[in-house]
Amino acid sequence: MTDMAMTSHAASGASAERAAVLQKLRGRDTLFYWMTRIAAISVLGLLGAIMISLVIGAWPAISTYGLSFITTVRWAPNAMPTPVLGGLSPLIGTLITSIVALLIAVPVGLGIAIFLTELCPPRLMRPISIAIEMLAGIPSIIYGMWGFFVLGPFLAERGLGGNLSLLNASLILAIMVLPFITAISRDVFATVPPVLKEAAYGVGCTTWEVVRNVVVPYTRVGIIGGVMLALGRALGETMAVTFVVGNSFRLPSSLFSPGTTISAAIASEFAESADLHQSALILLGLLLFVLTFAVLTIARLMLMRLEKQKGA
Amino acid sequence: MTIETHSSSQSSAALPMRERISVRDLRFYYGESLALKNINLPLYDRKVTAFIGPSGCGKSTLLRVLNRMYDLYPGQRAEGEVLLDGENILQPGIDLNLLRSRVGMVFQKPTPFPMTIYDNIAFGVRLYEKISKADMDVRVEEALSKAALWKEVKDKLNASGLSLSGGQQQRLCIARTVAIKPEVILFDEPCSALDPISTAKIEELIDELKSEYTIAIVTHNMQQAARVSEHTAFMYLGDLIEFNETSNIFTTPKDQRTQDYITGRFG
Repeated sequence: MTDMAMTSHAASGASAERAAVLQKLRGRDTLFYWMTRIAAISVLGLLGAIMISLVIGAWPAISTYGLSFITTVRWAPNAMPTPVLGGLSPLIGTLITSIVALLIAVPVGLGIAIFLTELCPPRLMRPISIAIEMLAGIPSIIYGMWGFFVLGPFLAERGLGGNLSLLNASLILAIMVLPFITAISRDVFATVPPVLKEAAYGVGCTTWEVVRNVVVPYTRVGIIGGVMLALGRALGETMAVTFVVGNSFRLPSSLFSPGTTISAAIASEFAESADLHQSALILLGLLLFVLTFAVLTIARLMLMRLEKQKGA
Repeated sequence: MTIETHSSSQSSAALPMRERISVRDLRFYYGESLALKNINLPLYDRKVTAFIGPSGCGKSTLLRVLNRMYDLYPGQRAEGEVLLDGENILQPGIDLNLLRSRVGMVFQKPTPFPMTIYDNIAFGVRLYEKISKADMDVRVEEALSKAALWKEVKDKLNASGLSLSGGQQQRLCIARTVAIKPEVILFDEPCSALDPISTAKIEELIDELKSEYTIAIVTHNMQQAARVSEHTAFMYLGDLIEFNETSNIFTTPKDQRTQDYITGRFG
């Protein structure tokens, strides 16, 4: 009985000491919590600030043109008495080049990823992976120059449009987003449990059947997420596209004709713009921001769903 | 190392036992390291053979040789002979897809494919046979019934295979294996992720399946080996220490190491 009382007394003494230490630690904990919290919130703040300043900058154009901005083709910053500015052709150019780029890059990227994860002899795995990663590391202006001096003339010689065309821009974009698609799909393919693949081989599947029926369905959401991230990249790519797209504010008649994209239009005109013209360019920027934001949000949501699936 | 032959064949007096698979002088390498050392052993037709032994003794490795699953991984290779109905399945030029349809495998963790319950079964069948929807329905029901799962899933064949419980998923995998009409079924610790009730169901199932198939089962559970198998192989550090009728292994083991293992002195 007394023994027990004594132990409990000693324990309460120790716990008082412990409580004092904890109290001190708690103070630092709170500090740490707030520091990290402020850091995290500042990202949201920045995002909001950019959005707001874009809206403010674009406001003159929004109030002048309203919704007709995205349905008008004519782009005449020097028209009198007021400039006529329509964003339809850069908007369409952006969508066309990005989508065509994905149409080319997705099959090739998935092919590379499947080869790397399912078929590749181990000797080749590293060199190919490194090559892909280096592709991602090349600065975009190099792609632009290459497209301008090499790919453009190459296409023109073969009658595939002029030196500068939407096709040229699409091809350059395809090469630029290829590493993204490859790297992401390679990573999601690697999340397929080996035993699931073994089970598929175990019922007698060929590699093609395993990829087609098990690997791709299992990772579908992740692949779509990767494609969306690549799309986000393609939508916003500026330098390389400005070099090769032609910067022509006309509705493109085909892939072979020159056109422009939102980022190319901004990059090539912003320096010598003023007033309403500048505001219209900012409005284009706002449109791109919204477009990219939407694409990335969808990508995030899909990747989150994949994570949940894996957890279940 | 010697292999016990079955001079004492009290239990198999009725039918002469036929060797469905004969493993001869099998050596297996993971890269440079030798994982199986000269294994010799028969798997008898329509009998259950259990493989027991401590972790890392090579029993799963041996199983993975029998359908050449190791072929998926570079650096793994087998030497020697494994005869399936007299044909050496280790020789180059064997059609691996065909082999794996003849030698089915059920894994430690349930591995339903990311598709519906129906398609989980139909998928494997479609790889080999072009049959009508009606025939396929029959085939799916047959397979699910054999795996004692039909009653539980017949109203939700279009639900995802992943929506089933662990024990149901494992029986789905067995159904899937059975549906392609294999000759041999390999079980790699099929119950280690399951609760006792599901385990009992799977064991019952194995007992029924052996009337049609040659079965090999790797297990860590010695009671399970004793319950389901006619023959037991005890492996240790890549060696086959003892192979005999299950009743003999568990009552009168010949080797001291077998004795030690089954009495729980190591492993």
